[in-house]
Amino acid sequence: MSEPAAARSEEPEEAGDAVLRTENLRKTFGGLTATDDVTMEVERGTITGMIGPNGAGKSTFFNLVSGFYEPDGGSVVVNGEETTGMDPHEVTEHGLVRTFQTPRKLEGMTVREAMLVGPQRQLGESVIPLFTQPDAVAAEERQNLQRAEELLERFEITHLADQPATDISGGQLKLVELARAMLAEPDLLLLDEPVAGVNPTLANKLKAIIRELHEDGITFLIIEHDMGFIMDLADPIVVLNQGAVLMEGSPDEVKNDDRVVEAYLGGGGGD
Amino acid sequence: MADDSHEPEDDIEPEGADDGSSAEAGGNGPGGSRSAFEGGVDTSQRRVERLTNYGIAAAAVALLAGVLVGLVSPTYLLFLVSLAGMYALLSLGLNVQWGYAGLINFSVAAFFGLGAYVPALLSASGSPLPWDVSPIAGLFVAVAATVVLALAIGIPTLSLREDYLAIASLGLAEVLRLVVRNQQSWTNGTNGIGGIPLFFEGVPVLGTFASDVGTVDLGIYTLGYQFWNGLLNFAIVAGFVVVSYVVLRRVHRSPWGRVLRTIRSDEDLAEALGKNTYAFRMQAFVLGSVVAMLAGVYYSYSNYFITPGIFDPIFTFYAWIAVILGGSGSNRGALFGGVVIVAIVEGSRGLGVGASWRLFAVGALIIAVMRFRPQGVLPPRKELIWPGAHRGGETDE
Repeated sequence: MSEPAAARSEEPEEAGDAVLRTENLRKTFGGLTATDDVTMEVERGTITGMIGPNGAGKSTFFNLVSGFYEPDGGSVVVNGEETTGMDPHEVTEHGLVRTFQTPRKLEGMTVREAMLVGPQRQLGESVIPLFTQPDAVAAEERQNLQRAEELLERFEITHLADQPATDISGGQLKLVELARAMLAEPDLLLLDEPVAGVNPTLANKLKAIIRELHEDGITFLIIEHDMGFIMDLADPIVVLNQGAVLMEGSPDEVKNDDRVVEAYLGGGGGD
Repeated sequence: MADDSHEPEDDIEPEGADDGSSAEAGGNGPGGSRSAFEGGVDTSQRRVERLTNYGIAAAAVALLAGVLVGLVSPTYLLFLVSLAGMYALLSLGLNVQWGYAGLINFSVAAFFGLGAYVPALLSASGSPLPWDVSPIAGLFVAVAATVVLALAIGIPTLSLREDYLAIASLGLAEVLRLVVRNQQSWTNGTNGIGGIPLFFEGVPVLGTFASDVGTVDLGIYTLGYQFWNGLLNFAIVAGFVVVSYVVLRRVHRSPWGRVLRTIRSDEDLAEALGKNTYAFRMQAFVLGSVVAMLAGVYYSYSNYFITPGIFDPIFTFYAWIAVILGGSGSNRGALFGGVVIVAIVEGSRGLGVGASWRLFAVGALIIAVMRFRPQGVLPPRKELIWPGAHRGGETDE
């Protein structure tokens, strides 16, 4: 079941269909070039891993494709449409949803409530319908609530629903974030270090959930430092080094590539 | 602490009577040290709410007793309650901006002043401008002018980081104040505008209500024109408060309000979840400004005479104090804060306490609240989900 290739072939999309494509993506901060000419593709139906030593530009890359940074050069194409320079919410509308390395907490909300921020284009997010069509808003809210509860159940965290979103553990928060991202119905989910600081049991659970969602047709791009986790889960794996793509290949190819070993050891940042 | 088993259910949630209560019982038990809206603290929240209710009831009884023994005239009581409504409008408006969306808006006084000046300029006999619009039409023009001013302030500032918004909004409010003070030919400058008509002027029955009723002799008091007119003014401000409160209550617990609370907590997260945060912040800014503006409309029609002093930043700070005191993000907290402000401002005046001591008391109060109850006296309820949405969930469980 862990064969991404199998899932990929089930996908009815035309072959080589890229859900995310970047070309010569470049970002500099002052004199520092964080991302230099990143050209890569995330093929629909894959779980693509992204690794690289600290400072390789992984997080910058995420911020560039999700709209949080404006690139200094190059282009980003999501689902066949150019999203270069768009605001993050517009990129999300194109089907790309991201999570953050440090889980974001929503003060003053319960987990159930925080989940309900996920669904896109809610009628009740406009002021006028709240007064002109309250029943439609209620029906929509009821439906979203039900979906949220289903996901919490699927992720086996139903018991957290009434908890304040600020009160749950980091690992639980990662699960909630993933569940909420699913409510946004993404085509491509970008996970930034999903198992950083998460205990091994929960990490395995996350892995199983990601696989399950992948089988449901979600494409993943995952940054992860935990080699065991990412090598087991992702295929292909993209290696970034010094702001550029060093290589791309299957986990075995990556493991046995001298340049990758060199980057991690020589770069001085491996962990 | 006190057993709260018979306390009315804190919030809407008819959902999962069994499921929810068991979770809550866990929280209410030994683990009383959990944070925020966990059960253990809920108990202390309920205690504060009960104390607040008693306090308000005691103040009301004291005022009514004062009326009965002849210490407080009914006309003054009406004025006090109306004033509380006016401050409540300022704080309800600011609460939309700061409490819901986390916007640090220091231009509340600009909208208060606008709400007073636009109708006055349009309908007062002392206005330097030639128009003579009916006061009720003046209200609608004021709403339109507020939307325009809110957009004018919001467009350049709402894309700024919060702390810049604070400075920029304060600056723009001061600019408006100085323009009104100095642009003699349009605003009469520091001479102010007199001859503001009554709000209901020209309206059948209500327009002449105060003079038609005549005087009613109640023994210790004679209720004359002043009283009946005060009653009309009270009706105006009460109408504004009730409509605003009903509207805000609804939007607060809607998906719209939820997005604003997300933005307040973490704007990046809201963006990542596909919310156009700039648009939402703008909507909150405009909506809050319209509500605060209504306070100015009331002020204008109840005072017959206004000066640029109404643009004074002190009104902004009173609104902030009311919101922080009441509990940021809480509509009823904003109402409560407005009442407390009036109690301080008018109470200190009644006791003959000087202005400097009044400001000192306000400052001390804020420090005490931040030290002992940073969430405010009546913080928002623990979970806000559109009413009726839970029905489906209930049958599920």
